[in-house]
Amino acid sequence: MAAEPFDVIVVGSGAAGGTAAYALTRAGMRVCLLEAGRFYDPERETPMFQRTAAAPLRDAGTPDKPFGFYDATVDGGWVLPEEPFATAPGTEFRWFRARMLGGRTNHWGRVALRYADHDFKAYSRDGYGADWPFTYAEFASWYDQAERLVGVFGSNPGLPDQPDSPPGCLQPPPVPRSFERLIMAGGRKLGRPVVASHTAVITRPSNGRQACFYATPCLRGCSIRANFQSPTVLLPPARETGRLTTITHAQAYEVELGRDGKARGVHYVDRLTHRHHFVAGRAVMLGASAMESVRMLFNSKNSRYPQGIGADSGLLGCGVMDSTGSNVWGQFPQMENLPPFNDDGAWLPHVYIPWWAWPEQRAGKLPFARGYHLELYGGRLEPSADTFDFFDSVSPFTYGRKLKAEARRYYGSFVRLSQRGEMIPREHNRVQIDPVLKDAWGIPSLRFDVRWSEQELRQTAHAQQSMAEFIEASGGKLVAPLPQDPAQAILPPGRIIHEVGGARAGVDPEKSVTDAFGRVWGVPNLYVIDGGVFASSAHKNPTLTIVAFALRASDHLKRELHHA
Amino acid sequence: MPDRRETLLWLLRALALSAAPGMAIGSLNAEPRVIGGTAGAAGPPAAIHGIDADGYGRDPDLRHPRVTWPLTLEPEQKTAVAALADALLPAEEGSPAASALGVPDFLDEWISAPYPQQRTDREVILAGLTWIHSQTAHAHLSAASAEAVVARLSALAAAGREPQAHFFSRLRNVCLIGYYTSMSGVAQLGYVGYQPSATFKGPPPEVLALLGV
Ligand SMILES: Cc1cc2nc3c(=O)[nH]c(=O)nc-3n(C[C@H](O)[C@H](O)[C@H](O)COP(=O)(O)OP(=O)(O)OC[C@H]3O[C@@H](n4cnc5c(N)ncnc54)[C@H](O)[C@@H]3O)c2cc1C
Ligand code: SF4
Repeated sequence: MAAEPFDVIVVGSGAAGGTAAYALTRAGMRVCLLEAGRFYDPERETPMFQRTAAAPLRDAGTPDKPFGFYDATVDGGWVLPEEPFATAPGTEFRWFRARMLGGRTNHWGRVALRYADHDFKAYSRDGYGADWPFTYAEFASWYDQAERLVGVFGSNPGLPDQPDSPPGCLQPPPVPRSFERLIMAGGRKLGRPVVASHTAVITRPSNGRQACFYATPCLRGCSIRANFQSPTVLLPPARETGRLTTITHAQAYEVELGRDGKARGVHYVDRLTHRHHFVAGRAVMLGASAMESVRMLFNSKNSRYPQGIGADSGLLGCGVMDSTGSNVWGQFPQMENLPPFNDDGAWLPHVYIPWWAWPEQRAGKLPFARGYHLELYGGRLEPSADTFDFFDSVSPFTYGRKLKAEARRYYGSFVRLSQRGEMIPREHNRVQIDPVLKDAWGIPSLRFDVRWSEQELRQTAHAQQSMAEFIEASGGKLVAPLPQDPAQAILPPGRIIHEVGGARAGVDPEKSVTDAFGRVWGVPNLYVIDGGVFASSAHKNPTLTIVAFALRASDHLKRELHHA
Repeated sequence: MPDRRETLLWLLRALALSAAPGMAIGSLNAEPRVIGGTAGAAGPPAAIHGIDADGYGRDPDLRHPRVTWPLTLEPEQKTAVAALADALLPAEEGSPAASALGVPDFLDEWISAPYPQQRTDREVILAGLTWIHSQTAHAHLSAASAEAVVARLSALAAAGREPQAHFFSRLRNVCLIGYYTSMSGVAQLGYVGYQPSATFKGPPPEVLALLGV
């Protein structure tokens, strides 16, 4: 463990903070990592081979463990009694958090897609939102590094909306599973691509990590380190440098500035003792997750920044985004009564449906400006508490021998298609500090005011239709008719757990909160390195971009400290 | 001992009477403005019908799974559940009956759990059970009468009658979960997995042929 003084205080140990801790310690810097949750050791704690039969309620989701008993979320969920938040009247927001070493990287869905050049130029392309302060060409090498560090399988089919990776970045994807092959056949009929997913699982041993052995549910975590979790991939090499100090149960709440206007350290409260502490460093990086980092900036008030650090432009907290999401379920007669066989694979998606209509959209032929992709789930995974969800529609009223025959017949024959779409950033979609609400440690809480617009609804109507087409072209039947109104299909904001924005990176201090490296305007040694900086949020799941951005910001800080 | 027809009449009256509380609990969905904290829907609400235990919490020991709440079915209720579960999922050649796979214990675990879905199911399922049981207090629900109850419930559900349809649906769903997530049930469905392997070869050729891909 390194002793004070620290070079850098990093807040949060998930995708963003874990990446910074990794990159900075390896570059020779002494890092103090503040993590609100408890220490977590996936190699010791992961219930990899525990069976569903042994779990309370057979692993069904509960408010304590929304994704099931074995899920790799500790002290998390949609509702945290100690950490309330508010939603503006007439709005909804879902906010999933995990208070543990590694944050939500322990559980995440691991779909890891690169943004394309046009994603970084969202405003220039259609006049909505803002451009990023760099181009794909300027950012691409950070994606290369991020893919190699994280470990991502995938392929390079040369699609207009999905940049190819240079050789050596991606691992070979596993072959598709039964249900994925059906959808691929449907895609061929429709003339739409179904290609290898980019998923954060390694299929070849690398960096001292074992390859996936195709046997256990990924969302529980992976003690052999074949999938990406901050505590298995990022933190061990950071610890090995001897330059990492990790303080758990440390709820950071304020960045303190010195007389020179620079960040001098971070105040935190120990969640167990309720004692307050201060830790000093030469620079501060906020990677507490987008909304938490914004909250910390708001709560860092002083005479120079009475509304909070970074609030000068009036844009702090503005432009909050999630991915759009909706589902359509299909039932596939071809999948009924199949003989027993092992179709676990790498558990997470092997294939996905990229956004095929981007050329059409660019030509202005679609009634919505931003795209989506489709993810596939289902098939013959281990029977679970959800397996019989559709029995009231596919086999109502059956019982006795008939019911048992129906259970054998239908098991494994359902596939869910899931839309993941781009939401247009709008300034009125924002978080602010709630005037009264505080968490259990007395720290002011956030209030969300986020709504879908017509754009997201029209995109969802299109996605619903497309998902139905895919199911039917693949020989399946819709489990339920599509809702007439896309507002009934679209999930509430926050539900896809891709919440980003609120501390937008840009080139103009009047129109952004941070510069292109995540440095808060006016405070040159204070960086935001998580999803907060997103100027737009392509339909591509955010975490790979968060890791790449954090690598780039860490490299920038290394140079800055070197000069000083 | 009441005859079958009488039992069914009691059951149906009971089902009609007991519909309302289940509905009220089901409406916990309405979203509060504050999510979490003291005003939120976080902690378990006050005791509902004898369930005031804690859940397993947000940080249970995943390597040593444990049900943390007491089971609440009375022995006679358990017997009735076993008879109904066996009528829903009977023994066949090479495939045990529900009670042989612990489904009644699982249903007890489920409806005794201090979580919203399970509380709702508790209301719905106990409503049916209590009255079936009260009619057969001196002689446990026999296999034959359980089959008749299940057949009748299914017919009423098919005719769109509430709350019978809801009771049938929830009872059947919980029994299906209990049965087919057990180790035997999983094997009966043909699930094969948790087998580490250096490679993943994909579905075998005979499966691909069946799929036509
Ligand atoms: C069910 C689910 C599925 C997902 N699927 C995908 C997917 O397929 N692809 C994808 O790209 N993304 C996915 N995500 C999103 C992904 O998990 C996040 O984008 C990613 O984890 C964000 O990284 P982060 O470091 O910003 O935040 P987190 O991973 O949330 O880490 C933040 C850390 O900071 C800590 N912290 C918070 N506040 C403080 C504070 N005040 N002081 C100290 N520490 C603090 C937290 O405890 C946490 O450990 C998914 C998420 C979930 C939950
Ligand atoms: S499927 Fe592979 S990567 Fe996922 S948990 Fe199992 S071994 Fe690890």
